[in-house]
Amino acid sequence: MDPYVVAIWIVRIAFLGGLYLFMFGVTRLLLRDLRAAARDPGGALARLVVVGSDVSEPLRGTVFGLDAVATIGRDVNNSIVVEDEFASTEHATLTFRGRAWYVEDLGSTNGTFVNGLRIEGLRAIGYGDELQVGRVRFRFERSRR
Amino acid sequence: MTLAVGPRARLVISRIRPRARRRESGLMIVVAVVLLLGSVSLGATQRELAGQKVSWLPADAGQLIIYLGALFAGHVALVLAGRRADQVLLPTIGLLGGVSLILMERLPQSLVTQSLAGRTFGLASIQLGWLLLALAVITIVALAVRSDAWLRRYKYTWAAAGIGLLLLTFLFGNEVNGALLTIQIGPLSGQPTELIKVILVIFLAGYLSEFRPILVEASMRLGPLRLPPVPYLLPMLAMWAMALGIVVIQRDLGAALLFFAVFLALVYIATARASYVVIGLVLFAAGSAIAYQLFGTVRDRVDIWINPFLDASGKGYQVVQSLYAFARGGILGTGLGAGLPLVGGRLPIPAIHTDFPFAALGEELGLIGVVAILGLYLIVIERGLRVAASAADDFRSLLAAGLTLVVGVQAFIIAAGNLKLIPLTGVTLPFISYGGSSLLANGVVIGLLLALSDRGVEPPPPPQVGRGRPRFLGGSRRAAR
Repeated sequence: MDPYVVAIWIVRIAFLGGLYLFMFGVTRLLLRDLRAAARDPGGALARLVVVGSDVSEPLRGTVFGLDAVATIGRDVNNSIVVEDEFASTEHATLTFRGRAWYVEDLGSTNGTFVNGLRIEGLRAIGYGDELQVGRVRFRFERSRR
Repeated sequence: MTLAVGPRARLVISRIRPRARRRESGLMIVVAVVLLLGSVSLGATQRELAGQKVSWLPADAGQLIIYLGALFAGHVALVLAGRRADQVLLPTIGLLGGVSLILMERLPQSLVTQSLAGRTFGLASIQLGWLLLALAVITIVALAVRSDAWLRRYKYTWAAAGIGLLLLTFLFGNEVNGALLTIQIGPLSGQPTELIKVILVIFLAGYLSEFRPILVEASMRLGPLRLPPVPYLLPMLAMWAMALGIVVIQRDLGAALLFFAVFLALVYIATARASYVVIGLVLFAAGSAIAYQLFGTVRDRVDIWINPFLDASGKGYQVVQSLYAFARGGILGTGLGAGLPLVGGRLPIPAIHTDFPFAALGEELGLIGVVAILGLYLIVIERGLRVAASAADDFRSLLAAGLTLVVGVQAFIIAAGNLKLIPLTGVTLPFISYGGSSLLANGVVIGLLLALSDRGVEPPPPPQVGRGRPRFLGGSRRAAR
């Protein structure tokens, strides 16, 4: 066989192999990322970031990781304790129900607000929405992974 | 010599903190080596077929060097800006674009020619120009976009702009292969559909993220299906009507299919409700049936798809030739430059550089090569959906998912069309097909994905609904229990 033709075929196959080498490299990076994510214990489903809090605790910038059920209120047994005189002892809950997150007002005195509107009972909430309990404003976000 | 630098410029310079992007650098080197191998393979084959003497120079060293230089310049720009954006997207797009350049160098240069300043440029030179512009667009969008407020605030303005562009095409469009596609402004011509698909995604992301809670809480029951209140179903119907309108007026089946598929996928991502997909598919089936009955083009496409060999030298010609090309390619392919013999001095597939590049790659790179190309698109989709999954809020998440789907679905539609898996519709293979509009629009898509993936991107602005946030003054509110 003509050595030139053989050499051309070697180059052709090297090119095809190179395409797969690239994919192999990317796949290795992906696996590394996935393993790193699996090792990370912080498996919060979503998070609440305090975006406005002038006079009370928690302070602006505080981040809370959320489990499937989270309660908000002034009582120390809540998962998110809001030290604000306008917040009720048991003010609201945030729950993840299969498809979406819901926020429920637990009959608080001054109400729970989503994007500035007072909610009645249960309401679906989306990532990026703003939640207000007492004088503390939270932004509801997807957890960073 | 001292440079006169104003205080403003000095502030900008002082804020630049280069950050190494090792993964990207590593992948870039692989890309350069692979493209060099491909180019050498093409050059050697072309010289062998032309009966010239043995040489291992790349097919067109100058063009390859310019392209790789631009790709590395983009990489260096991201490094210098210190962005923590995704590190896989740029090399993957670089590889796809490089494959495109090699393919265009391989096709007859006379397919497309343009004279500029007394010189005539062939297919590969023009494509190289567009590729460089697309790389520039990717880099500039990735670096310049630091906030998405301008996208989410004006969603209805964007929708209006999209519809306006569509109307413009209806009114002033030129016909290409029986479809109204291009708009000519002076010497420049462009395909607005390419831009409309990006605008559509921006609007849908804004709309769906705003009304997601209502769409999720389906309240109306219709047999086994749970539907949201009627007013929120209207956009769905409007979208369907628009897709049908594109088929009717513009006769552009590919765009209609792409828009509707991306729309359905986004609705599903936003709501996770199968009922919407069911409704959408029923609407799609109904629309397809109507279009099949009413329009000759649609009927032709479907008939060709069912049996292209019935009219193998007429209507089914391109599809038949495409199938032959895949068959000739086999597993390893004929090698770059060795396929596609001219039939009677003509190319077997006239639209090979726009609609059938996948068939050309299938012939010359074989099954292995085609699977690798599909793998590259899968990588793009994976990275994009990853950006979507880690976005802070719904709008950004839907935007990233939608942009990714635009590229992914489009690649699927045309690759499957070439393979006679679905009826052939004329969309471009992203980053591989010849064409400026498509390259630039897809460049915007990738640039936005890179910008959104950056961890330093501005946090989402507060929602717009009920802007008058409750402000309690001392006495207007009672202290809680």
